Amino acid sequence: MREDADPPVADQADSDAADPAQDAATNSQANTDPELDAKGLSRRQMLSRSVAVMGGAIAAGVAVPAIFYIAGPAAEDSGTAEWIRLGAASSVEPGKPTLMKVNIERRSGYLTTTEELSVFVTTENGSDFVALSNVCTHLGCRVRWVDDEGGFFCPCHNAVFNADGTVASGPPPSPLDEFEVKVEESQIFIKGAS
Amino acid sequence: MTNKIGDWVDERSGWRKQYEAIFLRKIPKINWLYTLGSATLFTMMLQIITGILLTLYYVPEPTQAYASVDYITNDLTFGWLIRGLHHWGSSAMVLLVILHMVRVIAYGAYKYPREATWFSGVALLLLTFSFGFTGYLLPWDQRAYWATVVGTRIGEVTPFVGGSLKNIMLGGEEISGLTLTRFYGAHVWILPGLLLGLVGIHMYLVIRNGISAVPDRTE
Repeated sequence: MREDADPPVADQADSDAADPAQDAATNSQANTDPELDAKGLSRRQMLSRSVAVMGGAIAAGVAVPAIFYIAGPAAEDSGTAEWIRLGAASSVEPGKPTLMKVNIERRSGYLTTTEELSVFVTTENGSDFVALSNVCTHLGCRVRWVDDEGGFFCPCHNAVFNADGTVASGPPPSPLDEFEVKVEESQIFIKGAS
Repeated sequence: MTNKIGDWVDERSGWRKQYEAIFLRKIPKINWLYTLGSATLFTMMLQIITGILLTLYYVPEPTQAYASVDYITNDLTFGWLIRGLHHWGSSAMVLLVILHMVRVIAYGAYKYPREATWFSGVALLLLTFSFGFTGYLLPWDQRAYWATVVGTRIGEVTPFVGGSLKNIMLGGEEISGLTLTRFYGAHVWILPGLLLGLVGIHMYLVIRNGISAVPDRTE
């Protein structure tokens, strides 16, 4: 197999070797050959280089804007940096994570969509609240609170989180995301992650 | 290094021979008018690239079509450029294709043995017009709407089949969301498929038969 492959490769090498030699020969007589300019470029070389430069410039002229065009919306703010009112603080039972749902508006490009945001709110003493995202930190499935076991369960890969959001078992790399919380006029507000 | 990779691939594909046949072929002494076909081909490639980019954001649905075009043009980074290239490129392509055809007529380049090249070229001309017609509706503004009303009414006067032709084009009696989706489907799938196939045939014939020389005054 290797022997079969050798002859054509050798041929190629020969012709490659011949080309520079030929170039050198033509370069040495640059002053007498009308086909060559002062730098010793043949008309053919000059033209193919010009084509490469112009083609490259045109390709870049399209490719660079195209990258910005494709990546554009990723840099846009989807608009969740405001305080969101979840509901009455009295609806959270001390010691038991309560799922609170709220509709939020999300902007993507020219479209504004309404999305339901679900948040687990917990309190030990009825005055200090913690708001945990219900999105599993492994691959984004939604977790649910199981009272009997005292933990959050993710149905996708059997992950378990403790009541404070830390990982009890399973694949998640980090605890459940926590929102910033404030209570005003006995209403719970959250801000931040998601 | 690149040479070694080139050799490796050449041994298994014979690309060098093909490359030489396409790019290093012998041509007669010609002039700048012979670049009009290549210019059309370049414009076509630009239309394909910018067209694909536009599909990332464009939505062929009556309540969103105009809003998505507006978003591309006014909000997206370089969206005005991509859409502008596609918009003006379409006019440029029609112009270039016609100039290319005029050159072929003027030089008698459609004669034996190049008749098949000419016929495929005529089909490509009609395809180019079809691209222009279907693409014109997509921004879904007043101009697009009424141009399509007029265009399909012109089709309606075709003897015998005109009425059905118009209704098939529109997907019903009137312009609707169905018209928009079928024009979109034609513009991005059906016509490009036909175009690429025909351009392949056209260029194969150009390379196989060689290009014609400028006719002699005494011929």
